[in-house]
Amino acid sequence: MAESAAAKRPSFAATAIPADAGAAVFLGNPHLDNLMTVVIAMGAEIWSDRQRARIVERLLETHGKVTREMIEQYVPSDEERKAWEAEREAMVRRVYDVLARDASGARPFAEERR
Amino acid sequence: MDRRTLIGTGTAIAALAAATDIDAAAKPGIPAGNGTKPALPAGTLAPRGRFDRLERLPTLALESRQDFLLSFRAFANRDLTRAASARADAILAEKGVPKDADLPLPQALAMLQDDPLLQTSTRAWISCQQLSWNGLLEEFEGNADRYLAEMEAVDRRGPGTLELNPDLKLPDYTRHEIHIQPGGYVGSEFAGHLYHYGTNGFYSGRNSNDELHIGAAQKLPIPNDGRVRRILDLGTGVGQLAMALKERFPEAEVWGLDAGGPMVRYAHLRAVERNLDINFVQRLAEDTRFPDDHFDLVTSYIMMHEVSPEGTSALIREAYRITRPGGVFYPIDFRLTNAVRRNAAGLYRLWWDHRWNNEVWSLKFRQNGTPQQIRDVGFELNETGPVALAGFGVLNATKPLPNGAA
Repeated sequence: MAESAAAKRPSFAATAIPADAGAAVFLGNPHLDNLMTVVIAMGAEIWSDRQRARIVERLLETHGKVTREMIEQYVPSDEERKAWEAEREAMVRRVYDVLARDASGARPFAEERR
Repeated sequence: MDRRTLIGTGTAIAALAAATDIDAAAKPGIPAGNGTKPALPAGTLAPRGRFDRLERLPTLALESRQDFLLSFRAFANRDLTRAASARADAILAEKGVPKDADLPLPQALAMLQDDPLLQTSTRAWISCQQLSWNGLLEEFEGNADRYLAEMEAVDRRGPGTLELNPDLKLPDYTRHEIHIQPGGYVGSEFAGHLYHYGTNGFYSGRNSNDELHIGAAQKLPIPNDGRVRRILDLGTGVGQLAMALKERFPEAEVWGLDAGGPMVRYAHLRAVERNLDINFVQRLAEDTRFPDDHFDLVTSYIMMHEVSPEGTSALIREAYRITRPGGVFYPIDFRLTNAVRRNAAGLYRLWWDHRWNNEVWSLKFRQNGTPQQIRDVGFELNETGPVALAGFGVLNATKPLPNGAA
């Protein structure tokens, strides 16, 4: 927890028994596992910027100006939320669908040349 | 104005009630605690406020990233799981094993757990889960003072009460980081915050209005005599079912119990905001400290599978003790029989959820003979209905009336 006055407040937390998922290696090399986490995190960052851009566009259309506060305080309509969700899901499928590819028949190129 | 804006700008704590639903609920024409929030016109600029009953996350960036992870999780649950299942079927076919064979878990694992596609599917799901928790943890711990001040502001306020027992001796089973939630249900001051926002993924977005909890509360059976004066929700977590039960039975005395102090603290905060008179207590489900025959309805919501076999036995005995004759004990949880899980791919998924998503007790829950234990303590058990939560199991237990009583 951040070093702050929080440290002076009463604590109601106990000691947890930690999970060990952080040490899990699924892809044969922990760095490959890290890369999977990276590419998902990158998707989240890209979507975050895209959604911000959508809001900026909308504010310029409706208000003719935009400030950081206006972006943060923007309340989307139900229709916009549904449209954003559909766009997000399409983006996820477009970018990550290859992960579902059954590559069990694939071989390294070097092996094929032999 | 939302509570974050209030606290964050240093506005007097007393203003909290005046600026939230508490005040709105007191106004004529706006019923209390029913989840209604005046709709804001599209394009309105307002403090971040709520989507339905869920306070929006404090920054657009965090909200957007969590939304993305929600979509990614849906993709993993649907597309990656489908691909992994097809691959598992192919592996079994290569080995001459029927795809619906009822295999022992070790045999299923030996065939499947090293396959790259199945491993990719699992890796992607776990990475998504970790990213979601870490993003939320960074927000709540990074702004700890603000969030702790919010809870402190209402710890001693009503409606309802909050009982915290920081010296409570917690059984080990309560201290695991279930679902790899950082700190689990007891180990972070923000366990309630993390759980509430983190479980959006589990609910596929149907969490902002406590949708499933309200649906379950409406369908839970009541005693045959129709008397519902006292209700207890065991393992209440962030109090979603307790709140929904209070809304269904506004005249009843409703209690929410959880081993996690931070969980009931957050539950109390939410109940106060919604003007709901609920008593939240940090106690153990197997040692509730309530009198014998006290409650008309004792519930739990997807809690039993997070409890050790010993804890389960003890809490079933305790539930029997505190339920009044004719009263109902209805623990909502996953189905104990599920044909889908019997094939190898389903078993594999069940296993990695247990092993890597840290569902510590979920496998034992399915082998624990819970229905028989409920009968053995004296309840009459109906396993067929009513279904309180679609897709989940039915454990509808009634404590018999004394011999000869009508």
